[in-house]
Amino acid sequence: MTSVEENTLGVVVGRAAKRAATSTARWFTQLSPAHRASLGTAFLGIGATIVVAVRAVYGLTWFVALWPAYPVPFAALGGWIALAAVLVGAAIAARITGDRLSNGMFAVFLAGLAIAVACDLVAVWDLHDIGRSATAALTAGTALLAIVTLRGPTEVLTAAGALGIAFSVAIFFDIPPGTVPDARWIAAQLTAIAGAVLPALIGVVIVESFRRFVQLELDRVLVQSTVSAPRFAVGMLASEELARLDLKAEELLQSIADGATRLPLDPKTASVAASLATELRLHLIEGRRETWLYHAVSESEMLGKSVTLVDKSALAGLLDAGQRDGLLSMVWLLVSDLAKPTPTRTLTIQVGPLSPGDPGIPDGRIAIPITITSTGIARNRVDPAVWDAAGRVGRHVESTENGSLRIAIECVVDNPAESPSA
Amino acid sequence: MDLVSRDRDRLLHRAARVYGLSFTIVSLVCAALPGAIGQQALFVSVPFYLLLAVAQVRVGATVSLLPILVADLAGLGILVALTVLSPAEQTAALPAVGQLAGFSLAAGAIPLTTSGRRIALLVARFLVIGGATVLLTWQLQEPLRTAGSVVLGWALATGVGVWIMATVPQAARRIASIGRAHRAERQASELEAQRRQSARLLHDTVLATLTLLAHSGVGVSEDALRQQAAGDARLLRQLRLGAGPTDPEDPDAPAPVEEPVLGTTLESVKQRFTRMGLEVSWHGTGQVLLPSHVLDAFLLALAECLENVRRHSGVTQAHVTITEDERMVRALVTDAGVGFDISDIDEAKLGFKESVVARLRDVGGSARLFSAPGAGTTVALEVPR
Repeated sequence: MTSVEENTLGVVVGRAAKRAATSTARWFTQLSPAHRASLGTAFLGIGATIVVAVRAVYGLTWFVALWPAYPVPFAALGGWIALAAVLVGAAIAARITGDRLSNGMFAVFLAGLAIAVACDLVAVWDLHDIGRSATAALTAGTALLAIVTLRGPTEVLTAAGALGIAFSVAIFFDIPPGTVPDARWIAAQLTAIAGAVLPALIGVVIVESFRRFVQLELDRVLVQSTVSAPRFAVGMLASEELARLDLKAEELLQSIADGATRLPLDPKTASVAASLATELRLHLIEGRRETWLYHAVSESEMLGKSVTLVDKSALAGLLDAGQRDGLLSMVWLLVSDLAKPTPTRTLTIQVGPLSPGDPGIPDGRIAIPITITSTGIARNRVDPAVWDAAGRVGRHVESTENGSLRIAIECVVDNPAESPSA
Repeated sequence: MDLVSRDRDRLLHRAARVYGLSFTIVSLVCAALPGAIGQQALFVSVPFYLLLAVAQVRVGATVSLLPILVADLAGLGILVALTVLSPAEQTAALPAVGQLAGFSLAAGAIPLTTSGRRIALLVARFLVIGGATVLLTWQLQEPLRTAGSVVLGWALATGVGVWIMATVPQAARRIASIGRAHRAERQASELEAQRRQSARLLHDTVLATLTLLAHSGVGVSEDALRQQAAGDARLLRQLRLGAGPTDPEDPDAPAPVEEPVLGTTLESVKQRFTRMGLEVSWHGTGQVLLPSHVLDAFLLALAECLENVRRHSGVTQAHVTITEDERMVRALVTDAGVGFDISDIDEAKLGFKESVVARLRDVGGSARLFSAPGAGTTVALEVPR
């Protein structure tokens, strides 16, 4: 027997069911990292390719100028042909396969670079000055920029590091026996290695920052949609969940109707039916609705990590769109100032409780006290835009105590008891 | 300043930090090579290098311009130390100078591409640092060559800044359109959730069946259970495939529910009570067209009345008569059971007030109860069409 009492309608008597926490809270943010990453990075990749092209022209100029001096000029030419082939191949492959280089293509790309480097080193080996005479080999380092948006950061950095080590080893063994290199020579080799390896490193950092930027903007814009939500809403996650449960129930019932599932049910299927019934019931209970602010915090990757919301009477739902926007911007500015959220740096938003009537408030309106307490942010480090945003929510007073910033806002809203629309 | 520009500026400053710091390190290593510059020059320039590095770290941590200017001053200090304090014939300091003036300090150009004022500062910095570099290395290297490499380095850094600047609005536009799509999706999913939640009766019969199944269907004939499962699966499928979400408040919404839904629903209510031991006889109109939320409330109230008959009347048969006119649909639920004195029984105790009266009132309907001890009970339900 189940412990839940119910009548023939299947309605839980006495509402014994208790509310379950939404476990699906972050499906949206996990949904499409690949899709998110493609936003704008393709254009960034074109810029990186232009840098590679400029570097290649510069290298080719030196290659032509040094042609008479090369001990093995055709090896250098072979290096350039290999380099040109992989660069053109990578550009075409990226266009066709859509901003992503497959593993196979990546391997071919790296092999091509290795061939270019090897050929070029052979060509200039007897000059004993790789840093100032190698051309295709050094350009090959910059060429990694061309795939900086197409592959993961670790792979590009590993390739750049391997190239740097290869250069260092080659330069070391290329020192003519019995000579001690002077500072000028060493500096030339060092700057050549740096010029080959650093572009990839800088490119990776820029692309990663850009991806973070896109992620942040996306997170914010998705949460922004809660501003126009009704006073109470089921939320994206719960509604998705309800549809999923309905589908599962349908599949189970259909399989019983078809005879695909035998009757009486085996204990395992029976317990599946029981848990489906329980979950469905929980999702159908009225009042399983939360305010926009709750959804904003729970759906956002950024806010979810560091914001605690205390809103027992669900007063946040009463704020109008402008006030919601102000509050959200404020919270956003405060939270995203903490470049890397840590457990010690948190933000608590307390909405309510309502205090006895304030004589300054006009009829039909009530004042909701909102308190934002944040630890780990100094008063003078707060972005001035926070105060502009706070001004859109209501009259505000800020204070600092024990190293935590406290902003108290008095937000005046329509009294739901006196306005039929609420 | 809006949030997007603020985040864009951060992005540019971070790029400047990694760009500048990387080449600062290269320049320092070149300067520190044994014999590259004199002891005195090294002694003076190392503190400036440290200041430069600290300033460049700060460049990435804030969007203010101060760290960039501090870095410039430190860089100028290093330039003077490398060239003036070094022995005059030393050209080994040139790589360190080149990395510093052409790349490390040029990195400050990346965040200076966002506004007219900043671009003016970028030009001023370029003239001061470029000019100083050319003048200080006049004796060591062909001035034109120095100027050429400095111009190239600064052009590269400026190009990086401009390119990132140009990428941001594109990304911002696409993100904004995703945001709009998401808002629409949120509204749609909200309506969808309401539609599913308001399909109460349907879920009630599904829940009843699932609960039976949870007990492995013990006590109910296999055939009956299969039939009920088939009916419920069909209802869920109709809900899933049903026309898009409809807003109950929207007068233009495609309101009336398809007849088969009503027919099967009435039938499934009847079958459910049959299995529970109450014979229900239907009379009158079998097919009624009603807006879906009205239909749900109506059928749920009806089922609630039948449940009361099953529990309290002491008889195993009930009659349901459905009639309609242009404005209203009515149902009479009648039994010949024990009946009761209405004044004796608290309506709320039967769940009547909450489950029947309130539900019907929500959709503009009403319910009345007639009964006397020994004379059976009649409930009249009424909802608008």
